[in-house]
Amino acid sequence: MELGVKDTKLHVKIKTKKNIIEKMKKQKTLIIMSIPFIIWVAVFCYAPLIGWLIAFQKFKPAKGIFDQTWCGLDQFKILFTDPTFFIVLRNTLCMAIINLTFSFICSIGFALLLNEVRRVLAKKFIQTVSYLPHFLSWIIVTGLVQMILSPDPGIINQILLGLHLISKPINFFADPKYFWGIVGMTNVWKEVGWGSIIYLSAITSINPDLYEAAEIDGAGRFKKMLNVTLPGIKPTIIILLIMNIGNIVNAGFEIQYILGNGLIQDVSQTVDIFVLKYGISLGNYSLATAAGIFKSLISIVLIFIANRFAKSVGEERLF
Amino acid sequence: MRKSKLIFSVLLTGVMGLSLLAGCGSKSQEASSTSANGKVKEFSAFFAVAGKEIPDKDRVKNVIAEKIGAKINEQWLTGQTAKERIGVMIAGGEYPDFIEGGEGTQALVDAGALVPLEDKIDKYPNIKNYLTANEWEQLRKPDGHIYYIQQFGKTRGKDSQVQHRDEAFWIQKAVLEWANYPQIKTVDQYFDLIEKYKAANPTINGQPTIGFDILCDDWRYFCLENPPQFVAGYPNDGKAIIDKATLTAKNYNTIPEAQKYFKKLNEEYNKGIIDPETFTLSYDQYKSKLSTGRVLGMVDQQWEFEDAEKALKQQHMDEKTWVPLGLTLDPNVKPQYRTQPAFNTGSGLGITTSCKDVDGALKVINDLLSNDLLALRWWGEKDKDYKVDDKGVFYMTDEQRENYRNQDWRQANQCRYAYFPQYGTGYFDDGINCIWPEQQQGEFEATLSDNDKKVLNGYGYKKWTDFLNVPAEKNEPWFPIYSATGGWSADDPQNMAMLKMDEVKKKWLPKVVMVGESDFDSTWNQYQSTLATQADLKVYEDALTKEVKRRVDKFKN
Repeated sequence: MELGVKDTKLHVKIKTKKNIIEKMKKQKTLIIMSIPFIIWVAVFCYAPLIGWLIAFQKFKPAKGIFDQTWCGLDQFKILFTDPTFFIVLRNTLCMAIINLTFSFICSIGFALLLNEVRRVLAKKFIQTVSYLPHFLSWIIVTGLVQMILSPDPGIINQILLGLHLISKPINFFADPKYFWGIVGMTNVWKEVGWGSIIYLSAITSINPDLYEAAEIDGAGRFKKMLNVTLPGIKPTIIILLIMNIGNIVNAGFEIQYILGNGLIQDVSQTVDIFVLKYGISLGNYSLATAAGIFKSLISIVLIFIANRFAKSVGEERLF
Repeated sequence: MRKSKLIFSVLLTGVMGLSLLAGCGSKSQEASSTSANGKVKEFSAFFAVAGKEIPDKDRVKNVIAEKIGAKINEQWLTGQTAKERIGVMIAGGEYPDFIEGGEGTQALVDAGALVPLEDKIDKYPNIKNYLTANEWEQLRKPDGHIYYIQQFGKTRGKDSQVQHRDEAFWIQKAVLEWANYPQIKTVDQYFDLIEKYKAANPTINGQPTIGFDILCDDWRYFCLENPPQFVAGYPNDGKAIIDKATLTAKNYNTIPEAQKYFKKLNEEYNKGIIDPETFTLSYDQYKSKLSTGRVLGMVDQQWEFEDAEKALKQQHMDEKTWVPLGLTLDPNVKPQYRTQPAFNTGSGLGITTSCKDVDGALKVINDLLSNDLLALRWWGEKDKDYKVDDKGVFYMTDEQRENYRNQDWRQANQCRYAYFPQYGTGYFDDGINCIWPEQQQGEFEATLSDNDKKVLNGYGYKKWTDFLNVPAEKNEPWFPIYSATGGWSADDPQNMAMLKMDEVKKKWLPKVVMVGESDFDSTWNQYQSTLATQADLKVYEDALTKEVKRRVDKFKN
């Protein structure tokens, strides 16, 4: 087996040169068609990376990027000696993990359940209603959340008071212990319908024969869901998981920025807010860029780990 | 068939490309000023703040154009921050004729986009006299040039303000009426009155009464953090209190008055006078709460809640609006809530290097500052917009007042050129007419509601500002010291110290107010020690002290 693999590799190498030219000729049109996109990626994704140089300078906006004072890794030193940075990093990761788990489980579960709805009209209706919140901006959503949770006339407090579960209204935004939960729930509410669309479409591509076969074997609806539908969408789940893990350090900005306040800043501030505070408010663009680079590094490492994991369990993967 | 399609598509691409180019071309034409000989010159202007454009057919705009032979087409910031927009302008190297860069002002100066004005202003008496020699000196940059004219915070002759716009403790007019117009001087008296009123009136319009609100949303948390300087008898220097004898700056978080003030707040919080929700309210929630008329008092700057006041007035609840009070902890301390307007040296109106007619542009500014033009800008056309009685006093008829109140009407019939040099308060050369119609005593009285009249009469005052101290003749040379922090650069240690100080305060100040009364002292001590360890207060104070001394040396005379 081992030998076989090596053999093929060697084989490929010898053939490569000739093959590539031949292949390129064959796929000329495809290559030409892809040129604009390569340019697009280069211009909009790679060219801006020149800005990373700022992290190694004492950047003054008025001067050009190459006329700055260079300072080596000083900005990173400041970053790693600042206790606030680790707090915001912790918050970012924790909130991201909470968001990821919640929204992942809920989206998949929702898709599976929705798939079992027999009436097409009801199914369509529920689906449309469920993904509508996705189109609301965070400003509106956070406004709703603030209203719902407000201790003054908020509905949650009224219900809790009415059920005599509490004797005094709870100020949800004054106590650090509620914040991550609020962010997680809000995310689920906003994104669950939207997130389930992709799973629903994956489900429709499952071969109906499998269901029939399962039925003949005596599987009920629940068994079919568990043993046919779920394995059927597993590749989609894994791919999305990898992509989402790469996005994990983007735990969000708007929701924490708007819902946060001084009392709970130790749990509400994310890396993005840190970057805004130090970069824009303080004018220290270098430090902000250094934080941004560090964030990207974590992203890349996480993607590799997740990809590795997918590879080792023998699943579909990104690269 | 195929060929024709190809030709068609090539043509289409070409046309689209051309249209793009055409778009660029026409834009650059617009930006340059065209001075048609002998006719009305047109200038372009950009202000890096949100604002409303004056339509071209605006009546007064055309009257002004005829009078001074120039017209200004103003543009305002939309959808971007000032720094972003100015950055784009600098990158392109093309500017409008006039510019106010707001937060991007320093970038404009650094980029060499502004024309130095110091040699030219002598020719234009109105501009030269607009600022004092001292103020011109303050605007001078380290390279020896003056690049812009600060257009706000100026008084012409005597102060004529009727409404306090800055910070104060506010109390509902209904409360004062209920208590038969008492004199409130101290924080203790203030909360005592609120407590009594709240006990007597537990609900207002069917909703529970709220005793006191402190806005604490993001940067607006100054309502929570800066009252110690006021109650200790200092003016709004903003970032520190300045000892006049030693000329040293001290942060006001560690002074005994701060502890006393927050202890009082803690006590009131535990009594249920302060809104339990106050520290988590967003600005919008705060405004909507105030608009219900059930908030008895707050500490804030008037412009922050004027929307709420407008809403209350619209609902005919004038008695639920507020009156400013200048409170101190010790009744023997003289309050300094009112000062002369602060002079902001950080930004102003400049003329750019793209302007082809710098002298023409300066002449426009000079003309706009003349008596006649100030009257046109603020009052409008004589007889059409206001009348003059036989003693020479300006007044409006009821219809004119109605127009003046109507925002739509103003949009089509008023042309203030609101970001050009102007006076925030004061009188025309005749000494009897105020520049702002709102400040004209006759107009002020005529537009007061019956309820407002009752409150003013109750105290024997003529205007709302009478509730506060009379501002000192002249501000101290260092005032306001907060303007110094804008000049600190990112890697200055005092800048970091200030940020850390704010972080600690944002977290701990709500905490010390919200803890149980018995825990106040220990929490306060914890707060003080956190502040001392996390923020380098000494570096911060030293930097400010240095600036105070520099300003005293330079501007005292």
